Amino acid sequence: MVRNWSDYKTDSWVQWCPACGNFGILLAVQKALAELDLPPEKTSIVSGIGCSSRIPYYVKTSNIHTLHGRPIPVAEGIKLANPEQTVIVASGDGDLLGIGAGHFVALGRRNMQLTILLHDNAVYGLTKGQAAPTLPLWLKTKALDAPNIQSQINPLLLAFASGYTFIARSYAYHVDQLKDLIKLAINHKGTALIDILEPCPTYNDIMSKEWYEKRIYYLNSADPSWDPNISSQEDFDMKAPKILDKMTEWGEKIPLGIFYRNLSIEPLDTRIEKILPGYLQYPPAKRPIDIKSKPIVHPFTEFKDRIVQT
Amino acid sequence: MSDEVDISVMIGGPQGGGIESSGQMLVRTFMIKGYDVFGIREYHSNIMGAHSYYNVRFKKNRPKSVKLPVDSLIALDAETIFTHYNEVSPKSFVVYDIDILNTPMERISPMEPEVKERVGDELKKLGVEPVASEVIKYLSNNGIKTVGLPLKNLLKTTAEKLKTNVVSVAKTVNTMSITASAALLGIDVETIEKSINYYFYGKKSVIDSNVMAAKVAYDYVKENFGIGNPIEDGPNKNKSRMVATGNDIVAMGKLAGGLTLETYYPITPSQDEAFYLGEHRYFRLDEWASKELGVEKLGVLVFQAEDELGALNMAIGGALAGARTATTTSGPGLSLMNEAISFSVMAEVPVVITVWMRAGPSTGEATRQGQQDLLHSVFAGHGDTPKIVIASGDHIEAYYDAMRSLNWAEKYQTPVIHLVDKYIASSMMSFDKEDVDPQLVPIDRGKYDTETKNEDYKRYELTEDYISPRSPLGKRLMWVSSLTHNEYGMVTEDPITREKMLLKLSKKIENAGKEIPLSEKVSLYGDQDAKITLVSWGSAKGPILDAMDLLRKDGIKTKFLHIRMMSPFPSDYVSNVLNSSELVIDVEANALSQLALLVRMHTGYDIKKKIIKLTGRTIMEHEAYNALKTVIQNNQDLVVIRDGA
Repeated sequence: MVRNWSDYKTDSWVQWCPACGNFGILLAVQKALAELDLPPEKTSIVSGIGCSSRIPYYVKTSNIHTLHGRPIPVAEGIKLANPEQTVIVASGDGDLLGIGAGHFVALGRRNMQLTILLHDNAVYGLTKGQAAPTLPLWLKTKALDAPNIQSQINPLLLAFASGYTFIARSYAYHVDQLKDLIKLAINHKGTALIDILEPCPTYNDIMSKEWYEKRIYYLNSADPSWDPNISSQEDFDMKAPKILDKMTEWGEKIPLGIFYRNLSIEPLDTRIEKILPGYLQYPPAKRPIDIKSKPIVHPFTEFKDRIVQT
Repeated sequence: MSDEVDISVMIGGPQGGGIESSGQMLVRTFMIKGYDVFGIREYHSNIMGAHSYYNVRFKKNRPKSVKLPVDSLIALDAETIFTHYNEVSPKSFVVYDIDILNTPMERISPMEPEVKERVGDELKKLGVEPVASEVIKYLSNNGIKTVGLPLKNLLKTTAEKLKTNVVSVAKTVNTMSITASAALLGIDVETIEKSINYYFYGKKSVIDSNVMAAKVAYDYVKENFGIGNPIEDGPNKNKSRMVATGNDIVAMGKLAGGLTLETYYPITPSQDEAFYLGEHRYFRLDEWASKELGVEKLGVLVFQAEDELGALNMAIGGALAGARTATTTSGPGLSLMNEAISFSVMAEVPVVITVWMRAGPSTGEATRQGQQDLLHSVFAGHGDTPKIVIASGDHIEAYYDAMRSLNWAEKYQTPVIHLVDKYIASSMMSFDKEDVDPQLVPIDRGKYDTETKNEDYKRYELTEDYISPRSPLGKRLMWVSSLTHNEYGMVTEDPITREKMLLKLSKKIENAGKEIPLSEKVSLYGDQDAKITLVSWGSAKGPILDAMDLLRKDGIKTKFLHIRMMSPFPSDYVSNVLNSSELVIDVEANALSQLALLVRMHTGYDIKKKIIKLTGRTIMEHEAYNALKTVIQNNQDLVVIRDGA
């Protein structure tokens, strides 16, 4: 059965404001899922709290709408218990880089096969326009009573420093390019971040559609020799300076595309298999725990180190 | 010695100086002799140098607590002498290293100034100079047998016999000291050797040096002080038994109960549970099960999260995927988990949170005892958050409660808080195979959906028993939501749907209260017709039961209501017991008498008599006994107990 993107649509009314960047991301997600033909029940979108985090209700897959800042650990739990589930985290900049920043960083150390879609509009939408961690210093968006006195986090650098092995940036209104990136991210054997720039037409009156579209360009169009793929430590040493150079480019020009894709870092599931034989065959969600309700291990069978013969 | 064999041995010294292994070897020694054992460790939040001690007690019938004074004190340093000289019985003996004799108290740097001042004042009143030799002389003058060991020389002898150098056997000083104590108690050196073999299981060179050290110490004591009259064997000879801490036994219960994923963030005193489970992550199945399943070993994944927020949310994710999950923490971690507890209530996620309480508030004392998180647990989570909260009173209860909690979580699709504490965590108890029979708690995974088609599946279907058939992600299309949701899990702010869904959450927990048998919620011990009722919870159970035996010998009959199920609360039963009593006394280790508050909230019964302990130290038999007697005989409203260094 080949699925169409509309097979991943639900009947829910989509509650975003007109022209919200989230519409583009939603469509790109649905198209990516359709092109990968992912079974809805075997795919989970996990979100935090905020405008963008309503996305689970609009996609017909087995989804979880969690707490503010906590979609990453919930997604990790799913993946630890059942590595076969396709798990996508979709959440806002405040969620992933503010209240949930600790989880964002810790995930990089694990290189689990998770896709992180960072809905990056630089403001807190659902609470009416406060500055998010990606809002540049001194910008005064319309809801702020004074210019922003806190500077911005660079999500790409943070992901790079934390150990993410697939780091990309996209733009919400470029649905097809975003869709292609999401597909690559889902198939990446490790942790993938796509920082998705998106206008918030309601609260971010500065970083608008026009503002972005004057600045964005694609890495591989500007430089046909652009190669973000790393296959070894030597490769990394050679390419890292250029990658970092591009990751820090922000202002008049904002690059999009894949910045970094490292295929030489082992993902978590096979690391676990090394310390826990049988994990991949019997992950926590699938291993037998009883036989017709009877427990299968008595403490005296396994915990011999505590036995004393009197 | 006959029926009244009831011996307590204390060993004290600097943290990192072998106190842990000494306690472990002592416990095994007494077990091999056929006795039941209970031992608890008191220690500072410190790795090296601060004072630490074990109090180990053995009896024919299982001791449930420790007591003072002790029958033997083993001092690995001078601080132990100053700290515990007044905790030894008149017929006891004190074993020490002769090298500590010249140590004045003021020179002991790790000893806290408050303790020095208090001990200094006491010694002054007794006319004793604050020097170790003077305190030992004082003990000796009071009829206590003081046994000085020339440990340096004994080490030299040990090294010579093993044809090695002193440095490589230096760690055996604690083995020498406990051997001396055991010899004076009338325990043969062979028993000590066996104990060494069990404790250092498989480490041949360590075993060899410790066995030699034990022989050398034994011979020295025999020659210079004489050994005690041989102690008779206890009733538990020729058996395969076990000794475990509370941390250990909860790990065992979780494994037997089918846990497949445990997440945690390191916090005292919970971390040893996760550590121990981790050591046994790739475990051997019972033979019959192994045959049936065609595998010899299976795994439990123990995963360290970045913080407690991560730990519980990961466990939630794992549970949604279909794993049996739990996390383990202490009070501060529970604070961080509150938000996710509320989420798991709302989203109906089965997850067990084991809470090893310690001395709060705030960071308080990480390695000390407190029963201060009862109300925190019952009310954990924002919004109305009905859930199951179970508190265990001892090791065996903790084992079965760990198993039952996993069942309840899945059956009622709810977070279950399993309350245990530092007392249980770091005390050791001996027990038999039949004491931990997992088949007494069959695995119950609750209602599972097996038929519904993807499109029709309602994760939050409204049913008669308020429980919606569950399915793991991956098997059904579903939405799981922390927002108010409809039967499909889709967000809604419809007022009537909201009301139905909130009632669903509270009604299913109410039903749990009706379905879970009384025997798993509350216990009534002692003389059923007694007019005096003691009320308590958690680990205060042990010293209370032991104290009741003493009260009975005084002709005072009591019964004891030990409440375990804190939510849903067994209100009717508790109310009946209290209202038919003439005198009710509440005992707990917190300042607010939290259980008494909870009882009053649920039953309206106002318990007037209270015994509390706030020192961060274990409640002991003798002080529970004395305090209960004071309340009963003097009609005193509040007794604050404070024994133990």
